Amino acid sequence: MPAGQGHPHLIARQRLLAALEQAASCAVTIITAPAGSGKSSLLRSWSDRQEQSHRPAIVQVQHEPDGQLFWLAVLDAVRGLAQDRDHTEELPAVAAPDFSSEAIVDRILDELAACPDRVSLLIDDVHELTSPEAQTQLTRMLTQLPDNAHVILAARRDLPLRLHRLRLDGRLAELRAADLRFTEDETRALLKASGIVLSDGATARLHERTEGWAAGLRLAVLSLHGHPDPERFVTEFGGSDRTVAEYLVAEMLDRQPRDVQDMLLRTSILTRVSGDLADVLTGRPGSERILLGLEDANAFVVSLDAERTWFRYHHLFADLLQLELRRVHPDEVRGLHRRAAAWFTEAGMVVEAVRHTQAAGDWAAAAKLFGNHSFGLMLDGQQETMQSLLDAFPSPSTADLPELSAVRAMLDLWRGRLDEAAAHLAVTTTCITDSPPERPARADATVSALSLELARRRGDVAEVMRHAALLTAPPTGSGFGSFSTSAEDIALGADLRVVALMNLGMVEAWSLGLPDGAKHLAEAVELARFIGRPYLEVAALSQLGFATKLHSFSDARRISEQALALAAQHGWDTAPILAPALVAQACTQVFNGEFDRCEATLTQADEALRTDAGPDIGVLHRFSWGLLHLARGRMSEAEAEFAAGYEMQAGMSHPHVLGGFVVGWLAATRARLGAVAEAQALLAAVDYALAGSAEVSNARAVIALVSGDPAAALAATSAVVDGTIRTTHVSTVVEAHVLAGLAHDEVGAQDRAWESVERALAASEPERLILPFVMADAGALLESVPRQRSAYGPWLTEVLDVIHGAVPATAATAGLGPGPVPELSATELRVLRYLPTNLSRPEIASELSVSVNTVSTHVRRIYAKLQATDRSSAVQRARELHLLGTGPTR
Amino acid sequence: MNAEPALYSIRVGGHLGETVLSAFPTLVAECQDPGAQTVLTGLLDLSALYGVLAQMERLGLDLIEVTRPGAAER
Repeated sequence: MPAGQGHPHLIARQRLLAALEQAASCAVTIITAPAGSGKSSLLRSWSDRQEQSHRPAIVQVQHEPDGQLFWLAVLDAVRGLAQDRDHTEELPAVAAPDFSSEAIVDRILDELAACPDRVSLLIDDVHELTSPEAQTQLTRMLTQLPDNAHVILAARRDLPLRLHRLRLDGRLAELRAADLRFTEDETRALLKASGIVLSDGATARLHERTEGWAAGLRLAVLSLHGHPDPERFVTEFGGSDRTVAEYLVAEMLDRQPRDVQDMLLRTSILTRVSGDLADVLTGRPGSERILLGLEDANAFVVSLDAERTWFRYHHLFADLLQLELRRVHPDEVRGLHRRAAAWFTEAGMVVEAVRHTQAAGDWAAAAKLFGNHSFGLMLDGQQETMQSLLDAFPSPSTADLPELSAVRAMLDLWRGRLDEAAAHLAVTTTCITDSPPERPARADATVSALSLELARRRGDVAEVMRHAALLTAPPTGSGFGSFSTSAEDIALGADLRVVALMNLGMVEAWSLGLPDGAKHLAEAVELARFIGRPYLEVAALSQLGFATKLHSFSDARRISEQALALAAQHGWDTAPILAPALVAQACTQVFNGEFDRCEATLTQADEALRTDAGPDIGVLHRFSWGLLHLARGRMSEAEAEFAAGYEMQAGMSHPHVLGGFVVGWLAATRARLGAVAEAQALLAAVDYALAGSAEVSNARAVIALVSGDPAAALAATSAVVDGTIRTTHVSTVVEAHVLAGLAHDEVGAQDRAWESVERALAASEPERLILPFVMADAGALLESVPRQRSAYGPWLTEVLDVIHGAVPATAATAGLGPGPVPELSATELRVLRYLPTNLSRPEIASELSVSVNTVSTHVRRIYAKLQATDRSSAVQRARELHLLGTGPTR
Repeated sequence: MNAEPALYSIRVGGHLGETVLSAFPTLVAECQDPGAQTVLTGLLDLSALYGVLAQMERLGLDLIEVTRPGAAER
């Protein structure tokens, strides 16, 4: 029978189908009944009855430790419900580390709500979903279902789902074992549909003996089919004291041809079976035909995919077969596991291969196989599965297997336990050194990649450079050439290379401030995209956004947005890999004066940073919180954050590229809090390289201003202002100008103060750096500047708006926001920039040396293009679109 | 909660054959003819007990009672 034509041997149990149909008007239906009660069959026959266009999505829960694959399967199934909808924009769900079931559930709910019609989702074997987190999220999904969605759950046991609310609201329907039990009429119908003729008495006896248990009746039907004496079969069955399942499985097996029996027994060790794999275990061809035949006969074999490649046996049936195998052929079990392991290894299905190698008791081989593939498993986010494989090794005999130390190191790194990871890596390294020279080079490469990651997380630059040299050599070079023989090694090579490039780029950009950092990170992004590892792509993009921050805020912002968008598509919104992009984003936001947005981003980053992401990100994270507190006038909170960043930095082996900022701002904040002596002591203690830095000079200026010594402040800022000292970031120059302006103002040199402000505005405008003005509390000084005197009038207004608490336009809404950005001509833009000022049209005309009429014409066109009705709404809209202040107005 | 192994008797419906009994190698089975039941007895700690019960669930056995002979005497 070709797939998709229904299941002829499933009888239509009208009573139950009607109950299900009625239940479908509720939000949730739960079917709870023991193994073999006919839950899956009922679901299938209900599903087959639905019109093609209203076929429900079906998800079969597989046993797994964390529920990740389950949620991805639900998402895929729900997407399949609306096939006519355009999904080209969306990415397929991909397994990855830092999986967030909460984010996936949100997407599932969105997808369901977006379906135009009423939709159903069937989830079978829900009792296999054992992770508490998965159960919590399932509860949430069920209680928040959109009105057009209906979910049917089938499970063997009552589940710890808190659905009392649904029950009280009458939105929960339940079917239990007693409902599923076959009535005598249904038993008769089943026999009739299967072409079995029995007397009324025998039918009643069969029903009584099986107690209407679905599995028992189906097994009986299989044995009765073509039986020479059906009445005698029922009599013997009725007279036996054996349990129904055992008796009937034995009977059914007996009645199968030899090759079928043999295949069933030998493949019972598998959780799923394909024709090819079954052939390997039986040593004979033809298994696929047998499997298809058994499924068509409804004989406890079900295909798992539409192509009918993979099958599984009914659990009850499989368990009995496995017990029978161990009883009949105890000496063959080990060999069967070995053959299965070899087949799975060849097919690249690592987890199953390791499980069967373990089941065969080949612990050393299992450890080797596991170790060789652990890096790929980690990148697929299979950490929980890795832990369960690890736990399956018997503890005393496997403590000394070096491959497992590498796996343990990986899991420790993932959990942020750096010291434990280092200890496990040390064990691995010793074992590798002691082992014979023909050891696989990839063990070396894996250890190098892990050591590199560890060194980077600890801020140990020299170690990073050492390991990176080996790993980043091109695949054809000596580094990888030695083992790039098989496709598998090349794939591993590419994975390791991306990770190495990323770690190297991060260290170069952050600890050393090298331009190569961004280059290596960009290479990592490209390679990750090329080899189809979106997780690594997000990670590298996120790091690139972070590293670009010093070079250009707008680039950093654009790249971070890209990382955030890609991560959101995969449900990784608060994944640790996203932390760098979030922190970079927060940093640009605080500098751009977007304090509320910055706070939201930092809160998201707090969650993403729940595992240690390394000191360079940690320092900037503390630093951004400090700046935000400073901007909001919360001095002591700011001081605490800067102090934490300072501590963190002190623990790093190499000076941080932000070192000057951290110490400078910590000192400045202490001075502003009145602790001048402490601030001075802090600066006196910095090393020679930092002592002459622009950031520390600015801090001295702040201390001088606080101490009422404007002359000293001017002296401190002079080298920064005139460009004698090289600065890491232009914000330091802006800050120096502002501080100089305040100092000039203090001594009454108003013109010079205004000149400093003008230079600060010029330096700050391209990157929209509002923060330095806010931090220095320069509001009064800026207010004193006559607008007509400044070439940056509109920009000055924007800065003052932020100081007075307005929310500035984002750079993001300018480029990416909804609605097209209206095209204004160069002249219109020139006129537009005067609109926020107090100048009248004739005054603008005179400023621009054009006629008043020309100005009026431009103003009308500007209003039309911005859909504004008056001057203030035009200014408002122009600000939102970031059309103001992108260059001097004259 | 008692961490020490204790003697448990688990009564299920039907006579268990060799195949099903092989799933419980640590338990001693006794078939009881009237009512056709089997009593499985063995020294189990709580984890082992729940493991046995889960196995019985998987095999579709009809669980009738679980007792701890001797527990009442303490």
